[in-house]
Amino acid sequence: MSSAEVDRLTVAGIELETLRRGQGATLLLLHGFETISPEARFLERLARRFAILAPSSPGFGNTARPEDVSEVYDLVRLYLELLEGLPDDRVSVVGFSFGGWLAAEMAVACCHRIRKLVLVDPLGIKVSDRETADILDIFNTHPRDVAPRRWRAPERWAPDFNAMSDDAIVRYARGREALSVYGWHPYMHNPALKRWLARIKVPTLVLWGAEDGIVSPSYGRAYSALIPGARFTAIENAGHHPEIEQPDAFVDHVLAFLET
Amino acid sequence: MDAWWQCEIPYPFVPQEVLDAADSVRASLPNRYCDPKIAADLFAEVIDEFLLCDELGMNVIAIEHHAGINSLIGANPMLVGILARQTRKVRLLSLGTLISLRRDPVRIAEEYATADVISRGRLEIGFVKSGGSEMASANANPVGNVERYWEAIDLVRKALSSHDGPFSWEGKHFTHRHVNIWPRPWQQPHPRMWSATGDPETAAEVGRRGMVQVLVLRGPEGTKRAYAAHRKARAEAGLPKVTTDNFAYAALVYVGDTDEEGLRVGSKLLWFLNTSLKSAPQYAKFLPGAVPPQLAPQVYRTTLRAEPPPLAGAEKGVAPASVNAARLISINPEQAMAQGILFAGNPDSVYRQVMEFYDKVGGFGHLSLVGRSGFMTHAESEKGIRLFTKEVLPRLREIKPVTVE
Repeated sequence: MSSAEVDRLTVAGIELETLRRGQGATLLLLHGFETISPEARFLERLARRFAILAPSSPGFGNTARPEDVSEVYDLVRLYLELLEGLPDDRVSVVGFSFGGWLAAEMAVACCHRIRKLVLVDPLGIKVSDRETADILDIFNTHPRDVAPRRWRAPERWAPDFNAMSDDAIVRYARGREALSVYGWHPYMHNPALKRWLARIKVPTLVLWGAEDGIVSPSYGRAYSALIPGARFTAIENAGHHPEIEQPDAFVDHVLAFLET
Repeated sequence: MDAWWQCEIPYPFVPQEVLDAADSVRASLPNRYCDPKIAADLFAEVIDEFLLCDELGMNVIAIEHHAGINSLIGANPMLVGILARQTRKVRLLSLGTLISLRRDPVRIAEEYATADVISRGRLEIGFVKSGGSEMASANANPVGNVERYWEAIDLVRKALSSHDGPFSWEGKHFTHRHVNIWPRPWQQPHPRMWSATGDPETAAEVGRRGMVQVLVLRGPEGTKRAYAAHRKARAEAGLPKVTTDNFAYAALVYVGDTDEEGLRVGSKLLWFLNTSLKSAPQYAKFLPGAVPPQLAPQVYRTTLRAEPPPLAGAEKGVAPASVNAARLISINPEQAMAQGILFAGNPDSVYRQVMEFYDKVGGFGHLSLVGRSGFMTHAESEKGIRLFTKEVLPRLREIKPVTVE
């Protein structure tokens, strides 16, 4: 990340690398498998309407992970604490993939400081039977097989380590390690979360890449159905990351939802 | 010097075209390729080989690896239990049940105490850090593995050596509120402990704990460096000096009547490196935590921008296991002999090769023989065991433990 727009934000004694951009009401973005790229088109468009706050979770990007921060619930508490420290009464939260799980857990725990919730291909729940994995095992699957499940256009978007800078690869590796700490077991979900999603009391939009092979749209529909009043929308021609593969359609949906 | 014989009980009878087409010969190769009748024959042959070692006075080692052609011993405690009863004389090293993969170290302590009692005090306990495909096979988080390793060892040790009723353990990785194992071990305070490791950081900890340190196929530079780290850590901690009895080295070893036979049959052991190490990238270089993130650029890229780290770099924590494995896969017999990975030939040649290596690394008190692998036959294996114990072992026994500065 370029230093101009990267802040350090200290929450609960943890110094978070935080991408800030734009002006207006605060919009908290919680990243997925990787931190949010400052070059992302969806970010630039959202920043025209909102003051974006996109922290890197402990262990990701350039944020250190304290030894005793090792659970998803540490992150949930961290971001609830972050919300309480903001001047805004209520803040809308957009969570992507793994960050969507965090956002859902936050809203289940306490909606008081959340205005609206956008979950983008979130992980976090168990839907199918015990012998059907809902979430592709990105750790134990060959990267060659993960890429086409993650991206509609893997040749364009899958990481090419030969072309990436050292810094970008180090960030990628740190993120993968952190993801393993938080999500190895039970794999990327909380068996109890499904029961409690009904506690979410804020307007919720569930967006899904229509060709997501990490977590399928049918999983997304089931997820959405568990949140009272939530609206499910599929975005065509996108895999697990509609915000990256279809940034304009993605932003259109998000703005239409947040600005009404 | 003592000698220990081991066989990983590999399963080489999978068609080569299947192995060539597979991303990995471990963790993900379907077990339909493992014929249980062939597996039963292999277990029978190799257990007989262990018993031959017992008869001839060579100690034995039972290892553990999971779900692959490299080894059928996924359940180390079962083999240890069999050997505890069926051998009668020699010492038995479990190297070991893979502790950081298992959720309850107390149960491991129970298994070890039982084997120690059944064998009437002949058990030695080895710990292996494990890694790669084992994490997938055991559903174990690869990140934090080393931390779990040491905490599990602490808990096993305490469970084996506490005799005053239940104690409580509430650690970072393991909790057990009521630890009180029966039987307690035969040996007091507990059987001798070993650790298989090569990196200096772990070697230092092994040294401070006074465990026997075993280096596996590591070559002279890496082995010497690890032994040195062990000694240095003890000196820095103000602990007494140790003798060569604290150090072990494991190599592929085969003794034939002639150099030609020793090398010809011994070269079959290279199957272990050439064929059974093949592992998919998700179990190797992309395994979370497999390399420190700052080293990921040189490991993740397929087109290297700089020279890859040398083999010996592993001791600095630089070359990851996957890089070492890539080098070992393509090794030939001459290279393996030059690197102290293979000791093969007639009895005199093998003795000389062992002692040359001994001198290069500053001495060790235990030679572990990876004595059967790949397509080596039962008859060839037994012949090698007989020749080694008759012609080489008596000479090695003359080498007494010494303190090395």
